[in-house]
Amino acid sequence: MSVVLAGLCAVGKAQTMEDGVMLSQGTLCAGALYTHSQWDSYWEGSLQRVNGNVGTVTTQAVSAMANYGVRDWLNVLGSVPYVWTNASQGVLHGQSGFQDVSLAVKATPLRMKTGQFGTLRGIALIATSLPMTDYTPDLLPLSIGLHSKTLTGRGMVNFLSRQGMYVNASAAYTFRGNVTLDRPYYYTNGQLYLSNEVAMPNVFDYSVGVGYYHHDLKAIGTFAAQQTRGGGDIRRQDMPFVSNRMNYQAAGFEVQYPIPHLRQLQYWVAYRNVFDGRNVGQSSTITTGMMITLHRERQTTP
Amino acid sequence: MIHVSKMTRRVAVSSVSLLVLMSTVSCDKSITATEVLPAQIFTSVDANAGAWKMIVLSGPTQIAVNAPAPVTDGGYKNELAQIKTAQASLTDAQKAAITYWSGGGVLRWNEILRELVAKQDLPPAPNPDGSYPVPNAANPFADPQYPFANPPYSARAYSYVSIAQFEALKSAWFYKYQYKRASPYKNDSGIQPLLPTSDLPSYPSEDAVEAAVNQVLLKLLFPTSADYIDAKAAEQQQAAMLSGRASASDIAAGVALGQAVAAVFSARAANDGMRAAGGTAAQWQALADGAKARGEIPWLSQDIPARPPMLPFFGQVKAWMMTPADVVKERPGPPPSTSSTQMQQETAEVKSTVDNLTRDQLATVYKWADGVSTATPPGHWDFIAVPYVVSSGQSEVRAARTFALLNMALHDAAVACWEAKYFYFNPRPSQLDPSIKTMTGLPNFPSYVSGHSVFSAAAADVLDYLFPSAAIYFDGQVQEAAMSRLYGGIHYRSDIMVGMAHGKRVGEYTVAFAKTDGAN
Repeated sequence: MSVVLAGLCAVGKAQTMEDGVMLSQGTLCAGALYTHSQWDSYWEGSLQRVNGNVGTVTTQAVSAMANYGVRDWLNVLGSVPYVWTNASQGVLHGQSGFQDVSLAVKATPLRMKTGQFGTLRGIALIATSLPMTDYTPDLLPLSIGLHSKTLTGRGMVNFLSRQGMYVNASAAYTFRGNVTLDRPYYYTNGQLYLSNEVAMPNVFDYSVGVGYYHHDLKAIGTFAAQQTRGGGDIRRQDMPFVSNRMNYQAAGFEVQYPIPHLRQLQYWVAYRNVFDGRNVGQSSTITTGMMITLHRERQTTP
Repeated sequence: MIHVSKMTRRVAVSSVSLLVLMSTVSCDKSITATEVLPAQIFTSVDANAGAWKMIVLSGPTQIAVNAPAPVTDGGYKNELAQIKTAQASLTDAQKAAITYWSGGGVLRWNEILRELVAKQDLPPAPNPDGSYPVPNAANPFADPQYPFANPPYSARAYSYVSIAQFEALKSAWFYKYQYKRASPYKNDSGIQPLLPTSDLPSYPSEDAVEAAVNQVLLKLLFPTSADYIDAKAAEQQQAAMLSGRASASDIAAGVALGQAVAAVFSARAANDGMRAAGGTAAQWQALADGAKARGEIPWLSQDIPARPPMLPFFGQVKAWMMTPADVVKERPGPPPSTSSTQMQQETAEVKSTVDNLTRDQLATVYKWADGVSTATPPGHWDFIAVPYVVSSGQSEVRAARTFALLNMALHDAAVACWEAKYFYFNPRPSQLDPSIKTMTGLPNFPSYVSGHSVFSAAAADVLDYLFPSAAIYFDGQVQEAAMSRLYGGIHYRSDIMVGMAHGKRVGEYTVAFAKTDGAN
């Protein structure tokens, strides 16, 4: 489960873009996810604080997602989120709408059987996200997203033992396109820019998942970190800005549970807590939903 | 044990090509920060500007400027030799500075001022006990930084700098044509003119006058940026010298004149009522009690924790073109009573508008938000004026006049608007109906009349007069700016309609002056 921190809000994205699971040829896995993310404390630059003018900021999303096995070694994925935001205090109006569609191609260029222990695989993923509507990113923390086109290259190393021990490590670099605001100038990072266009710094992220994965039952602990490669800090008592340097570290878990007697249906839940950050909310995010697999998900046993 | 299949190779090849594609997508994203200004082309040097009417100074000779040495003087020849030597080995930074200042000193300083306002436009963060610290001019770097360049503070700052610069340049023009010393490049053919040229005499240097006025007043108003301001002032003077436009003695005379005029304005600023504009807790309470005594619901801060009202006595700060009696005379009549049906209807209109916004209306809200970390509405109107100053080829003194008139009207608009706001102390829509949520930051001061509406109408009134061919555009911007506050959920229609009429009346005071100042 990857969480995109859109400004100070968190939005669910397809789980499978960051994990080591591949669907076999002809298999479709689709589902609907609900994400609930909230924070009442955030980092203004590196200063952690609360703000009575927003209270608790809640971001919710419903995402439709699908993952299809074009070949055993080649999957395509997509997700479409509808997002809505709310502040518990103050006068700011919540925002809502379709956010960014994500599309990805996932492939397994390397597969190595390590004797009787299990399988080690290298997985590459190319993903893009594109704003679906002309929502504005200029009312953070209540904007539904950052409205930047992105292109991500992700590499993953995945080990699955015969007994179900699962280890996944992933690292990605995301290029982000410039964002256009509705206003003719803005001040950020110590400078007045006489333009409506904002340069978006690129983003590096990595994550690790360790746990158990066997017979469609998955239970893992997760760690994820994001580093934005540039951008300014939120100044004292300023509003957040779309190109801020948004960094975080988060820990959580993820459980996938096959519904008894209906093995093509799986219940899925993930939790993540941001425990350190910069220009982001200290969010707790829970994502839950049902996934249906038409054809059985390929057993990733060796 | 590694199986590298044909398929795998295909994947690898396609991955590599996608990565190549990605690297091309990520090509140059940089944004040009500063205004792109063409090198100036002067349609006139405004040789008679020394006779234009003054606003604060008694006349162009209030500050004396001694006659320069003749161009045959040995000292002056040494100054010319210095320029030649320097021109022979210009650094890239010096060339870049000359290009930057070739767009015009008045325009550049206005841009710098807008940047300083945006930098300082941050309200204090609350203390843990829910009180708010007050920015302290004696300790400007502490948290909260001094100043909080909110709209009234900024309106005043724009006006002081712009008017002082205009007065100093009129005085400079007077002496330029009294002494008629030509630029170094005209006195020595070995000197290249690297900045835009004209027949304007060079003593005292207009660039140095601008640099000195801005340096003194900007450091007074924005003390945390002193280093940046000093660097810009030094750079402008150096560009004037390296470009062959002004010699060291032209510059020294300009600096002295600029500093002396700035001192007159610093003294005025110390006694214009700004220091008392914040008021005291007892005075804030008296404002609320006054509204209650009139049978009205008094304004309440909706910041959490509640924040003291923004500069409640700014309405008593000295205006430029209006006497205190004028300010009272132009004050609009009262808003609809908070208990009236009309107020109920207007509140309902705000709610239905903000809950049913079109994307275009939302864009208007953001375009005109001009909230924290912005140049504020007065700066937005300066920004609007820039292309008209450029395209009409205004001389430096005329460009200074444009910004002086514009910002004089904007300051008077701030005074008049704030006087009305705190006279009526009327609540915001979201106070009367807490279910109203706003699309932009809620300003922490009373609702009636709308600041955006008063500022914009006053500014456009001046710009309509100065650039009549663009009047339809300016008036359209006024409507947009004013209505953006209804769309944003922070003003009633009455605030806006009455505010625009109020602003226009305020602007007329400046236009009346402009019609008779001798510059037409």
